[in-house]
Amino acid sequence: MADRAVVIVDYGMGNLWSVASAVKHLGFEPIVSSDLESISTADTLILPGVGSFNRAMQTIRSSEIDKAIGEALHANEAKLLGICLGMQLLGKSSTEDGFSDGLGLVDNEVKKITSVSDQQVKIPNIGFREVQADEEMKIFGGLETRSQFYFVHSFCMQILDDRSKYAIAHHGQTFVAAIESGRVFGTQFHPEKSQKNGLKVLQNFLNL
Amino acid sequence: MTTKRLIFTLLYDSGSFMLSRNFRLQRVGNLKWLEENYGFGKVGSAIDELIVLDVSRQPRNIERFCEDLKLLTLDCFAPIAAGGGVRSVDHARLLLRSGADKVVVNSAIYDQPELVEILGKEFGAQCIVASIDCEQNNGMFVATKKNSFEMTNHTLADTIKICARLPIGEIYLNSIARDGTGNGLHLEILDHLPANLTTPLILMGGVGNSKHIVEGLRDSRVDAVATANLLNFMGDGLSRARRNAINEGIDLANFD
Repeated sequence: MADRAVVIVDYGMGNLWSVASAVKHLGFEPIVSSDLESISTADTLILPGVGSFNRAMQTIRSSEIDKAIGEALHANEAKLLGICLGMQLLGKSSTEDGFSDGLGLVDNEVKKITSVSDQQVKIPNIGFREVQADEEMKIFGGLETRSQFYFVHSFCMQILDDRSKYAIAHHGQTFVAAIESGRVFGTQFHPEKSQKNGLKVLQNFLNL
Repeated sequence: MTTKRLIFTLLYDSGSFMLSRNFRLQRVGNLKWLEENYGFGKVGSAIDELIVLDVSRQPRNIERFCEDLKLLTLDCFAPIAAGGGVRSVDHARLLLRSGADKVVVNSAIYDQPELVEILGKEFGAQCIVASIDCEQNNGMFVATKKNSFEMTNHTLADTIKICARLPIGEIYLNSIARDGTGNGLHLEILDHLPANLTTPLILMGGVGNSKHIVEGLRDSRVDAVATANLLNFMGDGLSRARRNAINEGIDLANFD
Protein backbone atom coordinates (compact mmCIF):
# COMPACT_ATOMS: atom_id res chain seq x y z
CA MET A 1 0.00 0.00 0.00
CA ALA A 2 1.28 3.45 -0.91
CA ASP A 3 2.67 5.62 1.88
CA ARG A 4 0.10 8.30 1.43
CA ALA A 5 -2.83 5.91 1.42
CA VAL A 6 -5.54 6.66 3.94
CA VAL A 7 -8.20 4.05 4.55
CA ILE A 8 -11.58 5.60 5.28
CA VAL A 9 -13.60 2.91 7.00
CA ASP A 10 -16.94 2.39 5.29
CA TYR A 11 -19.51 0.89 7.63
CA GLY A 12 -22.39 2.16 5.51
CA MET A 13 -23.17 5.30 7.45
CA GLY A 14 -20.60 8.05 7.12
CA ASN A 15 -20.37 11.19 5.03
CA LEU A 16 -17.66 9.38 3.13
CA TRP A 17 -17.42 11.60 0.10
CA SER A 18 -16.71 14.71 2.19
CA VAL A 19 -13.95 13.04 4.18
CA ALA A 20 -12.40 11.49 1.07
CA SER A 21 -12.55 14.83 -0.70
CA ALA A 22 -10.70 16.57 2.13
CA VAL A 23 -8.02 13.84 2.29
CA LYS A 24 -7.48 14.11 -1.44
CA HIS A 25 -7.31 17.90 -1.26
CA LEU A 26 -4.44 17.54 1.22
CA GLY A 27 -2.48 15.42 -1.24
CA PHE A 28 -3.17 11.98 0.23
CA GLU A 29 -4.86 9.03 -1.37
CA PRO A 30 -8.25 8.20 0.16
CA ILE A 31 -9.37 4.58 -0.03
CA VAL A 32 -12.98 4.18 1.04
CA SER A 33 -13.26 0.58 2.12
CA SER A 34 -15.13 -1.98 4.18
CA ASP A 35 -12.64 -4.68 3.22
CA LEU A 36 -11.19 -6.26 6.38
CA GLU A 37 -7.80 -6.92 4.78
CA SER A 38 -7.44 -3.27 3.66
CA ILE A 39 -8.44 -2.02 7.12
CA SER A 40 -6.24 -4.38 9.12
CA THR A 41 -3.13 -3.64 7.03
CA ALA A 42 -3.62 0.15 6.87
CA ASP A 43 -1.12 2.61 8.34
CA THR A 44 -3.66 5.41 8.53
CA LEU A 45 -7.32 4.91 9.33
CA ILE A 46 -10.18 7.35 9.47
CA LEU A 47 -13.47 6.32 11.06
CA PRO A 48 -16.00 8.89 9.88
CA GLY A 49 -19.47 9.22 11.20
CA VAL A 50 -22.93 10.42 10.59
CA GLY A 51 -25.49 8.21 12.23
CA SER A 52 -26.71 6.46 15.30
CA PHE A 53 -24.19 4.90 17.70
CA ASN A 54 -26.23 1.79 18.28
CA ARG A 55 -26.72 1.05 14.60
CA ALA A 56 -23.09 1.80 13.82
CA MET A 57 -21.78 -0.61 16.47
CA GLN A 58 -24.12 -3.38 15.30
CA THR A 59 -22.76 -3.03 11.76
CA ILE A 60 -19.16 -2.74 12.89
CA ARG A 61 -19.39 -5.86 15.07
CA SER A 62 -21.35 -8.03 12.65
CA SER A 63 -18.92 -7.22 9.84
CA GLU A 64 -15.92 -7.66 12.20
CA ILE A 65 -14.60 -4.22 11.32
CA ASP A 66 -13.88 -3.79 15.05
CA LYS A 67 -11.39 -6.67 14.91
CA ALA A 68 -9.76 -5.34 11.75
CA ILE A 69 -9.30 -1.91 13.36
CA GLY A 70 -7.84 -3.54 16.48
CA GLU A 71 -5.39 -5.51 14.33
CA ALA A 72 -4.28 -2.39 12.46
CA LEU A 73 -3.67 -0.56 15.74
CA HIS A 74 -1.83 -3.36 17.53
CA ALA A 75 -0.05 -5.38 14.87
CA ASN A 76 0.53 -2.55 12.47
CA GLU A 77 0.87 0.43 14.82
CA ALA A 78 -1.56 2.31 12.66
CA LYS A 79 -2.89 5.72 13.59
CA LEU A 80 -6.62 6.24 13.78
CA LEU A 81 -8.82 9.31 13.63
CA GLY A 82 -12.49 9.05 14.58
CA ILE A 83 -14.67 11.91 13.39
CA CYS A 84 -17.93 12.93 15.09
CA LEU A 85 -19.80 9.65 15.63
CA GLY A 86 -16.49 8.00 14.74
CA MET A 87 -14.90 9.61 17.80
CA GLN A 88 -17.81 8.56 20.00
CA LEU A 89 -17.43 4.97 18.76
CA LEU A 90 -13.88 4.97 20.17
CA GLY A 91 -15.44 5.31 23.63
CA LYS A 92 -16.57 2.78 26.18
CA SER A 93 -20.32 3.08 25.66
CA SER A 94 -23.19 5.29 24.59
CA THR A 95 -26.79 5.76 25.70
CA GLU A 96 -27.96 6.68 22.20
CA ASP A 97 -30.88 4.40 21.12
CA GLY A 98 -30.57 2.34 24.30
CA PHE A 99 -27.24 1.33 25.77
CA SER A 100 -24.43 0.02 23.59
CA ASP A 101 -20.79 -0.77 24.12
CA GLY A 102 -18.32 1.09 21.96
CA LEU A 103 -14.92 0.03 20.64
CA GLY A 104 -13.44 0.81 24.05
CA LEU A 105 -10.21 2.31 22.70
CA VAL A 106 -10.67 5.10 25.26
CA ASP A 107 -12.64 4.77 28.51
CA ASN A 108 -14.93 7.77 28.07
CA GLU A 109 -18.67 7.35 27.95
CA VAL A 110 -21.06 9.04 25.53
CA LYS A 111 -24.28 10.60 26.79
CA LYS A 112 -26.94 13.02 25.59
CA ILE A 113 -25.95 16.69 25.86
CA THR A 114 -27.49 18.13 29.04
CA SER A 115 -27.58 21.68 30.28
CA VAL A 116 -25.88 22.10 33.63
CA SER A 117 -27.61 25.44 34.23
CA ASP A 118 -31.29 26.43 34.20
CA GLN A 119 -30.85 27.81 30.74
CA GLN A 120 -32.17 25.45 28.10
CA VAL A 121 -29.93 24.79 25.12
CA LYS A 122 -30.98 23.74 21.67
CA ILE A 123 -30.13 20.22 20.62
CA PRO A 124 -28.44 19.20 18.36
CA ASN A 125 -25.52 21.49 18.97
CA ILE A 126 -24.96 22.85 15.46
CA GLY A 127 -22.48 25.37 14.19
CA PHE A 128 -19.00 26.70 14.76
CA ARG A 129 -17.90 26.53 18.40
CA GLU A 130 -14.72 27.56 20.11
CA VAL A 131 -12.40 24.73 21.08
CA GLN A 132 -9.80 24.89 23.83
CA ALA A 133 -7.09 22.37 23.16
CA ASP A 134 -4.37 21.00 25.40
CA GLU A 135 -1.24 22.60 23.98
CA GLU A 136 0.46 19.23 23.68
CA MET A 137 -2.13 17.82 21.33
CA LYS A 138 -0.44 17.04 18.06
CA ILE A 139 -3.44 17.57 15.82
CA PHE A 140 -3.86 21.22 16.89
CA GLY A 141 -0.28 22.18 15.95
CA GLY A 142 -0.06 25.56 14.23
CA LEU A 143 -3.57 26.63 15.26
CA GLU A 144 -4.52 29.35 17.69
CA THR A 145 -5.46 28.12 21.19
CA ARG A 146 -9.13 29.01 20.79
CA SER A 147 -9.95 28.12 17.22
CA GLN A 148 -13.46 27.47 15.97
CA PHE A 149 -14.69 24.25 14.42
CA TYR A 150 -18.00 22.96 13.06
CA PHE A 151 -20.08 20.69 15.30
CA VAL A 152 -23.31 18.84 14.71
CA HIS A 153 -24.25 16.38 17.47
CA SER A 154 -26.84 15.55 20.11
CA PHE A 155 -24.65 13.21 22.16
CA CYS A 156 -21.25 14.01 23.55
CA MET A 157 -18.26 12.30 25.06
CA GLN A 158 -17.82 12.92 28.76
CA ILE A 159 -14.47 14.10 30.06
CA LEU A 160 -12.67 11.52 32.14
CA ASP A 161 -9.59 12.21 34.18
CA ASP A 162 -7.24 9.71 32.62
CA ARG A 163 -4.18 9.62 30.45
CA SER A 164 -5.83 10.98 27.32
CA LYS A 165 -5.23 14.52 26.18
CA TYR A 166 -8.31 16.61 25.54
CA ALA A 167 -9.65 19.59 23.70
CA ILE A 168 -12.92 20.81 25.17
CA ALA A 169 -15.92 22.80 24.01
CA HIS A 170 -19.14 23.96 25.66
CA HIS A 171 -22.81 23.71 24.82
CA GLY A 172 -24.98 23.40 27.90
CA GLN A 173 -22.14 21.39 29.39
CA THR A 174 -18.42 20.93 28.81
CA PHE A 175 -17.58 17.98 26.61
CA VAL A 176 -14.75 16.37 24.68
CA ALA A 177 -14.16 18.25 21.43
CA ALA A 178 -11.10 16.19 20.60
CA ILE A 179 -9.14 13.38 22.22
CA GLU A 180 -5.66 11.94 21.84
CA SER A 181 -4.58 8.66 23.36
CA GLY A 182 -1.38 7.27 21.87
CA ARG A 183 -2.04 6.64 18.19
CA VAL A 184 -5.80 7.01 18.64
CA PHE A 185 -7.32 10.41 17.89
CA GLY A 186 -10.85 11.68 17.72
CA THR A 187 -12.66 14.91 16.96
CA GLN A 188 -16.30 15.58 17.83
CA PHE A 189 -16.24 18.40 15.30
CA HIS A 190 -15.99 17.77 11.58
CA PRO A 191 -12.48 18.75 10.38
CA GLU A 192 -13.65 18.14 6.81
CA LYS A 193 -16.38 20.75 7.33
CA SER A 194 -14.49 23.36 9.33
CA GLN A 195 -12.84 25.13 6.44
CA LYS A 196 -9.21 26.22 6.99
CA ASN A 197 -8.98 25.23 10.67
CA GLY A 198 -10.41 21.81 9.99
CA LEU A 199 -8.10 21.08 7.10
CA LYS A 200 -5.16 22.02 9.33
CA VAL A 201 -6.23 19.47 11.95
CA LEU A 202 -6.65 16.81 9.30
CA GLN A 203 -3.30 17.66 7.78
CA ASN A 204 -1.62 17.48 11.19
CA PHE A 205 -3.08 14.02 11.72
CA LEU A 206 -2.11 12.77 8.26
CA ASN A 207 1.44 14.07 8.65
CA LEU A 208 2.05 12.35 12.01
CA MET B 1 -25.25 32.97 23.47
CA THR B 2 -24.21 30.50 20.83
CA THR B 3 -22.65 31.41 17.53
CA LYS B 4 -25.20 31.81 14.74
CA ARG B 5 -25.02 30.67 11.14
CA LEU B 6 -25.32 32.13 7.66
CA ILE B 7 -26.54 29.59 5.12
CA PHE B 8 -26.81 29.68 1.35
CA THR B 9 -29.44 27.62 -0.44
CA LEU B 10 -29.09 26.41 -4.00
CA LEU B 11 -32.20 25.38 -5.89
CA TYR B 12 -31.48 22.79 -8.53
CA ASP B 13 -33.66 21.79 -11.45
CA SER B 14 -32.35 19.28 -14.00
CA GLY B 15 -28.78 20.56 -14.23
CA SER B 16 -29.56 24.22 -13.63
CA PHE B 17 -29.56 26.49 -10.62
CA MET B 18 -32.71 28.48 -10.19
CA LEU B 19 -34.03 31.69 -8.78
CA SER B 20 -37.32 31.22 -7.00
CA ARG B 21 -39.96 33.86 -6.45
CA ASN B 22 -42.96 32.70 -4.46
CA PHE B 23 -41.87 29.22 -5.56
CA ARG B 24 -42.00 30.07 -9.27
CA LEU B 25 -38.66 29.15 -10.78
CA GLN B 26 -36.43 30.92 -13.23
CA ARG B 27 -33.24 29.39 -14.59
CA VAL B 28 -30.06 31.31 -13.79
CA GLY B 29 -27.09 29.13 -14.67
CA ASN B 30 -25.37 25.77 -14.59
CA LEU B 31 -22.51 24.43 -12.47
CA LYS B 32 -19.98 26.42 -14.48
CA TRP B 33 -21.92 29.64 -13.89
CA LEU B 34 -22.06 28.85 -10.20
CA GLU B 35 -18.33 28.21 -10.04
CA GLU B 36 -17.60 31.49 -11.82
CA ASN B 37 -19.91 33.59 -9.69
CA TYR B 38 -19.64 31.95 -6.31
CA GLY B 39 -16.88 29.34 -6.25
CA PHE B 40 -18.06 27.26 -3.30
CA GLY B 41 -15.16 24.94 -4.00
CA LYS B 42 -12.83 27.30 -2.21
CA VAL B 43 -11.56 26.88 1.29
CA GLY B 44 -12.63 29.75 3.47
CA SER B 45 -15.91 30.54 1.83
CA ALA B 46 -18.19 33.03 3.52
CA ILE B 47 -21.00 30.75 4.54
CA ASP B 48 -21.39 28.33 7.43
CA GLU B 49 -23.40 25.85 5.43
CA LEU B 50 -24.82 25.09 2.04
CA ILE B 51 -28.27 23.62 1.40
CA VAL B 52 -28.84 22.12 -2.04
CA LEU B 53 -32.39 21.23 -2.99
CA ASP B 54 -33.57 19.36 -6.05
CA VAL B 55 -36.75 21.28 -6.80
CA SER B 56 -37.11 19.87 -10.32
CA ARG B 57 -40.59 20.38 -11.63
CA GLN B 58 -40.17 17.50 -14.07
CA PRO B 59 -39.69 14.01 -12.61
CA ARG B 60 -36.47 14.10 -10.64
CA ASN B 61 -33.34 12.34 -11.85
CA ILE B 62 -31.75 11.42 -8.52
CA GLU B 63 -28.56 9.99 -10.02
CA ARG B 64 -27.88 13.09 -12.06
CA PHE B 65 -28.55 15.34 -9.07
CA CYS B 66 -26.08 13.31 -7.00
CA GLU B 67 -23.43 13.47 -9.74
CA ASP B 68 -23.81 17.25 -9.87
CA LEU B 69 -23.78 17.39 -6.07
CA LYS B 70 -20.43 15.59 -6.10
CA LEU B 71 -18.98 18.11 -8.56
CA LEU B 72 -20.41 21.00 -6.59
CA THR B 73 -19.06 19.81 -3.24
CA LEU B 74 -15.61 18.81 -4.44
CA ASP B 75 -13.15 20.92 -2.41
CA CYS B 76 -16.02 22.57 -0.54
CA PHE B 77 -15.20 22.15 3.14
CA ALA B 78 -18.43 23.45 4.59
CA PRO B 79 -21.38 21.35 5.76
CA ILE B 80 -23.89 20.44 3.08
CA ALA B 81 -27.52 19.50 3.46
CA ALA B 82 -29.30 18.09 0.44
CA GLY B 83 -32.80 17.00 -0.36
CA GLY B 84 -35.79 17.33 -2.59
CA GLY B 85 -38.14 14.42 -3.12
CA VAL B 86 -36.50 12.10 -0.60
CA ARG B 87 -38.82 9.07 -0.43
CA SER B 88 -36.55 6.21 0.62
CA VAL B 89 -33.57 5.32 2.78
CA ASP B 90 -31.57 4.46 -0.34
CA HIS B 91 -32.21 7.92 -1.77
CA ALA B 92 -31.00 9.52 1.47
CA ARG B 93 -27.94 7.27 1.55
CA LEU B 94 -27.07 8.19 -2.03
CA LEU B 95 -27.18 11.90 -1.07
CA LEU B 96 -24.92 11.23 1.93
CA ARG B 97 -22.50 9.43 -0.35
CA SER B 98 -22.45 12.30 -2.83
CA GLY B 99 -21.27 15.10 -0.58
CA ALA B 100 -24.25 15.71 1.70
CA ASP B 101 -23.86 15.63 5.46
CA LYS B 102 -27.53 16.09 6.19
CA VAL B 103 -30.75 15.17 4.45
CA VAL B 104 -33.62 17.62 4.00
CA VAL B 105 -37.16 16.25 4.15
CA ASN B 106 -40.38 18.10 3.42
CA SER B 107 -43.39 16.19 2.05
CA ALA B 108 -42.26 13.04 3.90
CA ILE B 109 -43.03 14.79 7.22
CA TYR B 110 -46.72 14.65 6.33
CA ASP B 111 -46.94 11.70 3.93
CA GLN B 112 -44.28 9.29 5.18
CA PRO B 113 -43.47 10.04 8.83
CA GLU B 114 -42.37 6.40 9.16
CA LEU B 115 -39.60 7.08 6.63
CA VAL B 116 -38.38 10.03 8.73
CA GLU B 117 -38.34 7.64 11.74
CA ILE B 118 -36.18 5.17 9.83
CA LEU B 119 -33.84 7.90 8.54
CA GLY B 120 -33.35 9.06 12.13
CA LYS B 121 -32.54 5.54 13.31
CA GLU B 122 -30.18 4.99 10.41
CA PHE B 123 -28.36 8.33 10.27
CA GLY B 124 -29.20 10.03 13.58
CA ALA B 125 -31.58 12.93 14.20
CA GLN B 126 -28.76 15.46 13.75
CA CYS B 127 -28.70 14.42 10.10
CA ILE B 128 -32.36 15.22 9.37
CA VAL B 129 -33.49 18.72 8.44
CA ALA B 130 -37.24 19.36 8.32
CA SER B 131 -38.10 21.89 5.65
CA ILE B 132 -41.42 23.62 6.32
CA ASP B 133 -42.90 25.88 3.64
CA CYS B 134 -45.64 28.11 5.00
CA GLU B 135 -48.41 30.06 3.38
CA GLN B 136 -50.16 32.83 5.26
CA ASN B 137 -53.91 32.34 5.28
CA ASN B 138 -56.29 34.53 7.33
CA GLY B 139 -53.58 35.39 9.80
CA MET B 140 -52.60 31.72 10.19
CA PHE B 141 -49.49 30.07 8.80
CA VAL B 142 -50.36 26.82 7.05
CA ALA B 143 -47.77 24.29 5.93
CA THR B 144 -47.62 23.22 2.28
CA LYS B 145 -45.94 20.26 0.62
CA LYS B 146 -44.73 19.05 -2.79
CA ASN B 147 -42.84 22.26 -3.66
CA SER B 148 -45.77 24.19 -2.15
CA PHE B 149 -48.17 22.85 -4.77
CA GLU B 150 -50.35 21.25 -2.11
CA MET B 151 -51.64 22.66 1.14
CA THR B 152 -51.54 20.39 4.16
CA ASN B 153 -54.19 20.72 6.83
CA HIS B 154 -51.55 21.56 9.43
CA THR B 155 -50.78 24.96 10.84
CA LEU B 156 -47.15 25.81 11.47
CA ALA B 157 -47.62 25.12 15.18
CA ASP B 158 -49.14 21.68 14.41
CA THR B 159 -46.26 20.89 12.05
CA ILE B 160 -43.73 21.77 14.73
CA LYS B 161 -45.56 19.33 17.04
CA ILE B 162 -45.34 16.60 14.36
CA CYS B 163 -41.62 17.35 14.00
CA ALA B 164 -41.11 17.14 17.76
CA ARG B 165 -42.27 13.50 17.65
CA LEU B 166 -39.89 12.69 14.81
CA PRO B 167 -36.10 12.42 14.83
CA ILE B 168 -35.43 15.86 13.43
CA GLY B 169 -32.32 17.92 14.07
CA GLU B 170 -33.24 21.24 12.53
CA ILE B 171 -36.25 23.19 11.33
CA TYR B 172 -35.77 25.04 8.04
CA LEU B 173 -38.66 27.46 7.80
CA ASN B 174 -39.64 29.32 4.65
CA SER B 175 -42.38 31.84 3.99
CA ILE B 176 -43.82 31.39 0.52
CA ALA B 177 -45.11 34.96 0.41
CA ARG B 178 -41.62 36.34 0.99
CA ASP B 179 -39.70 33.69 -0.97
CA GLY B 180 -37.42 35.37 -3.50
CA THR B 181 -38.94 38.83 -3.03
CA GLY B 182 -35.92 40.39 -1.39
CA ASN B 183 -38.30 42.34 0.84
CA GLY B 184 -36.90 41.03 4.10
CA LEU B 185 -37.58 37.99 6.28
CA HIS B 186 -41.10 37.27 7.48
CA LEU B 187 -40.28 37.77 11.16
CA GLU B 188 -43.97 37.66 12.09
CA ILE B 189 -43.87 33.91 11.41
CA LEU B 190 -41.71 33.51 14.51
CA ASP B 191 -44.66 34.48 16.72
CA HIS B 192 -46.42 31.35 15.50
CA LEU B 193 -43.73 29.03 16.82
CA PRO B 194 -44.00 27.43 20.26
CA ALA B 195 -42.05 29.45 22.82
CA ASN B 196 -40.12 26.44 24.05
CA LEU B 197 -38.81 25.22 20.68
CA THR B 198 -35.64 23.29 21.43
CA THR B 199 -34.76 22.41 17.85
CA PRO B 200 -32.40 24.79 16.04
CA LEU B 201 -34.25 27.07 13.61
CA ILE B 202 -33.12 28.21 10.17
CA LEU B 203 -35.26 31.04 8.80
CA MET B 204 -35.44 31.88 5.14
CA GLY B 205 -37.58 33.65 2.59
CA GLY B 206 -37.17 37.30 1.69
CA VAL B 207 -33.48 38.06 2.25
CA GLY B 208 -32.42 40.63 -0.31
CA ASN B 209 -29.46 42.25 1.39
CA SER B 210 -27.15 42.01 4.37
CA LYS B 211 -29.46 44.18 6.50
CA HIS B 212 -32.13 41.48 6.28
CA ILE B 213 -29.61 38.88 7.40
CA VAL B 214 -28.77 40.99 10.46
CA GLU B 215 -32.48 41.48 11.26
CA GLY B 216 -33.05 37.75 11.26
CA LEU B 217 -29.96 36.75 13.19
CA ARG B 218 -30.60 39.41 15.82
CA ASP B 219 -33.82 37.64 16.84
CA SER B 220 -33.12 35.25 19.72
CA ARG B 221 -35.46 32.63 18.25
CA VAL B 222 -33.41 32.35 15.07
CA ASP B 223 -30.27 30.20 14.98
CA ALA B 224 -29.48 30.62 11.32
CA VAL B 225 -30.60 32.68 8.35
CA ALA B 226 -30.61 31.24 4.86
CA THR B 227 -30.93 32.92 1.50
CA ALA B 228 -31.42 31.42 -1.94
CA ASN B 229 -31.09 34.78 -3.63
CA LEU B 230 -28.76 33.72 -6.42
CA LEU B 231 -28.35 37.17 -7.95
CA ASN B 232 -27.96 39.52 -4.98
CA PHE B 233 -24.85 37.93 -3.47
CA MET B 234 -22.69 37.20 -6.49
CA GLY B 235 -18.94 37.70 -6.36
CA ASP B 236 -17.91 38.63 -2.83
CA GLY B 237 -21.49 39.47 -1.81
CA LEU B 238 -21.68 36.72 0.79
CA SER B 239 -18.31 37.69 2.34
CA ARG B 240 -19.42 41.30 2.57
CA ALA B 241 -22.75 40.31 4.10
CA ARG B 242 -20.96 38.18 6.67
CA ARG B 243 -18.47 40.91 7.59
CA ASN B 244 -21.31 43.40 7.85
CA ALA B 245 -23.25 41.14 10.23
CA ILE B 246 -20.15 40.66 12.40
CA ASN B 247 -19.61 44.44 12.45
CA GLU B 248 -23.23 44.85 13.53
CA GLY B 249 -22.47 42.68 16.54
CA ILE B 250 -23.87 39.37 15.33
CA ASP B 251 -22.00 36.37 16.72
CA LEU B 252 -20.84 34.52 13.59
CA ALA B 253 -17.69 32.44 13.22
CA ASN B 254 -14.94 34.55 11.75
CA PHE B 255 -13.46 33.01 8.60
CA ASP B 256 -11.07 35.85 7.75
